[in-house]
Amino acid sequence: MTPLNRTTFLPALAALMIPLAIGMIFFYAPLERSMGIIQKIFYFHLSLAATAFLSFFVACISGIMYLLRRQRIWDARLAASVEIGVVLTTLVLISGSLWGRPIWNTWWTWDPRLTTSLILWFIFASCLILRSAVDEEGKRASYSAVMAIIGFVDVPIVFLSARLWRSIHPTVIRSEGIGLESSMLITLLVSIVAMLIFWAALFRLRCSQHLQENALRDLQQQLQH
Amino acid sequence: MNSLQQILFLLGKDLRIELRKKESLVSMAFFGALILVILNIAAGIGKQVDADAGAGILWVAIIFSSVLGLGRVFAREKENGCVAALLLSPISPGEIFIAKVLVNFCLMLLSQLVLVPVFYVLFGSNFSAGPIALVPILLLVNLGFSTTGTLISAISAGTRRNEVLLPILLFPLILPLTALAVKATAGALAARPLTELMDQLEPMIAFCLIFSAAGYLLFPFAIRED
Repeated sequence: MTPLNRTTFLPALAALMIPLAIGMIFFYAPLERSMGIIQKIFYFHLSLAATAFLSFFVACISGIMYLLRRQRIWDARLAASVEIGVVLTTLVLISGSLWGRPIWNTWWTWDPRLTTSLILWFIFASCLILRSAVDEEGKRASYSAVMAIIGFVDVPIVFLSARLWRSIHPTVIRSEGIGLESSMLITLLVSIVAMLIFWAALFRLRCSQHLQENALRDLQQQLQH
Repeated sequence: MNSLQQILFLLGKDLRIELRKKESLVSMAFFGALILVILNIAAGIGKQVDADAGAGILWVAIIFSSVLGLGRVFAREKENGCVAALLLSPISPGEIFIAKVLVNFCLMLLSQLVLVPVFYVLFGSNFSAGPIALVPILLLVNLGFSTTGTLISAISAGTRRNEVLLPILLFPLILPLTALAVKATAGALAARPLTELMDQLEPMIAFCLIFSAAGYLLFPFAIRED
């Protein structure tokens, strides 16, 4: 494949898969008995949550790798994954709220999962603010690496402390098995795969943008000297 | 000097500066007392506050006032380029971290010697337990707050917007600790025995351990100037 094809392959695949997932959600998956049409939001809600968590995991790993290796590519990966993670977590919170309003009769409740997502959103959004406040490239990279690692380390404690409040969040995937009908499960899997491909496409694009930005800045500096 | 002596030396140095200038401690205690007064008025004058709301009020005052002291710890070192001198000295970054955590711990403890009595004067008529019951919770939060805060303040002192960034970066991280502390304090104020509060105290201990380790390991990267 030529380089141009390689950069367009993942977005093109995502552009095929996401409509397919939406189509399956509305025409293949059966209507849930008690919740009705509102339950359809669940497929994307869960896929978004999974990819958001994946972003923060990738951010933590990139942070560790940057601190060990000091290579620019890891900083670019960290920046890309934190950005995408914040956007996806925002969507998770919004889609969850939209579902919670008719089902729980409230936009927001202090449930462990909701609390964890919200605090994660705060931590990684603050990491983005930190990045915008530091100009020197090396400093920005190590500071945000430390933030990404410590933010991810915070997750188990956040979840533990959030157990203080009672949980009304449905648990679909339990240790005994998955509480879903097979056609719903297939739809869910397709949505997750679609979202993962979309995530990978975004991640690659943002990574190369960050690298290009840095290369451009290097060129500027060379011209000035 | 072995490492313990080095840590105590740095701790002594910072406490001596604080004792002579009194800049952090006075502003921490003053600001905290101010918040308590504002919240007392906001809660409605002449109204009784129950243990749950009281615990929240106490922690808002402590957390907000502690950030003031925390911001100064590294800003003071940055002002005269002392960080470079500290890093050049034969003291490992890990020991600097421990010393700074202890400084923050002492500052928070000293300011709480003022804040907790003020809290009891303003809100205390309704609580069945005295201030002694709060001591274990205060110590745990001080430790967790100091470790996380020292790491974050090393980061924020390296940026152009130290005072703004410090609370923005720190508060999300210590949110779980604060939530646990509020719950435990509400129990303690209602005179429940310590054994009943273990559900909250155990995660708080875990928080302190995790962030002590993470802070110790990550601090060298946050302080290094490259």
